[in-house]
Amino acid sequence: MKKWIPIATGLATGLLAATVFFADFSPGDRNEAIAESSKNKTNAEKVYVPFGEKDEYYLFASGGHSGQMFIYGVPSMRHIRTVPVFSPDSATGYGFDKHSKEMMGGFTWGDLHHPAFSETNGDYDGKYMFATDVGNSRAAVMNLETFTVKDIIDVPNTSGPHCAAFVTENTEYMFLPTRFAVPIGREYAPLDDYSEKYRGVMSAVTFDEKKEKLNIAYQVALPPWSYDLSDAGKKVSKDWAVMTTYNTEEATTNLEINASQADRDFIVLFNWKELEQMVKDGKYDEVTGQKMIFPEKHKGGMYLVPVAKSPHGVDVTPDGKHFIASGKLAPSMTVFSFEKAFKAIENKEFAGERNGIPIIKYESVMEKEVNPENALGPLHTQFDEQGMAYTTMFISSEIVKWDPKTGETLDRVPVQYSPGHSVAAEGDTVAPDGKYLIALNKIAKDSYLSVGPSHPESMQLIDLRGDKMEVIQSAPVNPEPHYAQMIKADKIKTITVYPKDEKNPDAVYSQEETRIERKGNEVHVYGIAMRSKFIFDAKAERPDQIEVKKGDKVFIHLTNIDFDQDITHGFAINGYDLNIEVQPGQTNTVEFTADKAGTFPIYCTNFCSALHQEMTGYFLVKP
Amino acid sequence: MAGKKLSILSSGLIAGAAVLIGSSLFFPWWGMEFFAPQYPEGLNIIVYPDKLEGEIDIVNGLNHYIGMKGFSEENFPELTYLKYLIGGLALLTLITAVLRRKKVLYFLIGLFSIGGLLGVWDLRRWLHDFGTDLSPTAPIKVDPFVPPIIGENTLANFITNSYLGTGSFLVLAAFILILIPLWKDR
Repeated sequence: MKKWIPIATGLATGLLAATVFFADFSPGDRNEAIAESSKNKTNAEKVYVPFGEKDEYYLFASGGHSGQMFIYGVPSMRHIRTVPVFSPDSATGYGFDKHSKEMMGGFTWGDLHHPAFSETNGDYDGKYMFATDVGNSRAAVMNLETFTVKDIIDVPNTSGPHCAAFVTENTEYMFLPTRFAVPIGREYAPLDDYSEKYRGVMSAVTFDEKKEKLNIAYQVALPPWSYDLSDAGKKVSKDWAVMTTYNTEEATTNLEINASQADRDFIVLFNWKELEQMVKDGKYDEVTGQKMIFPEKHKGGMYLVPVAKSPHGVDVTPDGKHFIASGKLAPSMTVFSFEKAFKAIENKEFAGERNGIPIIKYESVMEKEVNPENALGPLHTQFDEQGMAYTTMFISSEIVKWDPKTGETLDRVPVQYSPGHSVAAEGDTVAPDGKYLIALNKIAKDSYLSVGPSHPESMQLIDLRGDKMEVIQSAPVNPEPHYAQMIKADKIKTITVYPKDEKNPDAVYSQEETRIERKGNEVHVYGIAMRSKFIFDAKAERPDQIEVKKGDKVFIHLTNIDFDQDITHGFAINGYDLNIEVQPGQTNTVEFTADKAGTFPIYCTNFCSALHQEMTGYFLVKP
Repeated sequence: MAGKKLSILSSGLIAGAAVLIGSSLFFPWWGMEFFAPQYPEGLNIIVYPDKLEGEIDIVNGLNHYIGMKGFSEENFPELTYLKYLIGGLALLTLITAVLRRKKVLYFLIGLFSIGGLLGVWDLRRWLHDFGTDLSPTAPIKVDPFVPPIIGENTLANFITNSYLGTGSFLVLAAFILILIPLWKDR
């Protein structure tokens, strides 16, 4: 009796302590069981992502002339978010706050064509997304922690970087070649002087990750042709890049006819490491503030590969050994070999020069021409995990699967109307996933409820996992789905709130620090937004009013001190054409001149709580 | 009997109790978790002997709607000296183990019991104070309420769960350990 009591109590105490320290009360993992049962699913089941579960991939689709980027989930094809890049967006205050307004540089639209993820060792690293603007010759970078644009640069001497952006294996460069040849500096020159004065300038753009700034390292004054599409090399070809070009006829009018005359156009093949070295060695001219390589003066690093007339897409295989060009007007795909090209360059197997650039003999670099029966209008090629190629056929409206090694056609699947690009899951990296391919269809017909004469564009999801390709989902999308990239969802690590930045002089993180400072005719407001009020000056009789004089320059620095998920606040001044957003923890600035006297209510535009309606104030402008 | 020394085993148990009390300083003693449809992961207030942890700012932001005072470490003077009281208790327990005197043990048990009751009373006082002293100008009027020390409470769409933390369990275990010698050496 006496002995077992302490033993029992000791054991009980030990058990209690062990439970407290080591017991695992978290629920078990049931995802594996779900993943195994994908066979025999109907198409609806294959694309259905139930509430509470998330998609496997992010799809970043360019918005063309909307200037925006659209983010979808795959396989559900649900539209998750619109990210404004080159166009203002009052929903997010983009183009109204100081930073984004400065980035926009006075432009109100852009034509967003080719999105490109930052890469590490030829694979997407999920950190940044780049995009280019054909409309106004710019490049942008989006941070994927916040899905917001951090920097936009104007690319001088270039007009319409259509075939960009393409990113080298470790994001050393993104190259922006021009679609419309213009004189250097975009200066006036009559079209009669086209061949002498016009140039298709290509820019090598670098990205400084620490400062989140884009920069131009150097430019190349290519001949006055139209550069269409491009891709960076991988693995064995990692120092190289390729781009297609048309209008080698140097026509200046009615291009539909005049730029379609020559039987062969070119692929420009270049070694960016060599160009980089040329710049280091001073083999360039200083033009309009840029380091510009003129191929006719400084030879090296650039070659032309003849290709069937008016080529469009050119894509490098995942192993980096081949590049495949598709002839928009010649109904075939041509497989070229990098190794053969390197050998031909070494042995100087050239067939003359154009504009100072050596032309490699076609036979020396071409591996095979592939011409699937009745497949018309090949445009772009993507790859699966086995290196099989999937090419969109614009005219015959289908996707053709074929083997780049043998040229054999393996499978074909029709899609509803004219695919432009397609995108496979991580399909342009060194390690594609296979699984899914999405056809981005330019023209849609009869597929959805009518919205008038202009039909919704569409994206069609194709399952690559079975023996045969199968269209399993179709979704109407915002115009214009041009190109897209698909990344495994777990590669992207977003943040939920902005961390405090004690060094930011515009930020105030407590109510007591809020204040309004006047310097001459400048009024600086250091305010906060929190559920459900604005405080611009905590010590004032009415902390939620701002009073200025007509003509004052007003700077409103607003910090959202709700460090809570999704508590985003808006800030609009009624009648002043202003609306900005402050996300949780963020400090944002709006800068404007109070040029209208009167009484203007201020209110929160982004629903934030039950008392969101009461989150208001007054902006008073004394005459 | 009262003057007799405690056995070595008892002394060891009491020393063990001292270690448990001392280590409880590094663990949370009490906590509250709030759940609502928009906060399925829950919001936490976690109380250590010397600090608060959890999503205090968010809880305060929400509580301002019902006019509750803000939680902050400055609002609880206990947090500045509680760790010394607990440390002192651990030291006293260790001394008891070394002295092996029954009288000292009785004193320790008494002190332990009074301290524990005071602690529970203090926590209850704070809960009462925060739940009933609500600002008269609050946007949302709720009836005064007192959350339980352990258990569930529902307020609007929030379900709160109050629970004892690891530190409390350690001290409870220590209390059991110092009671055992009463049997062992009776």
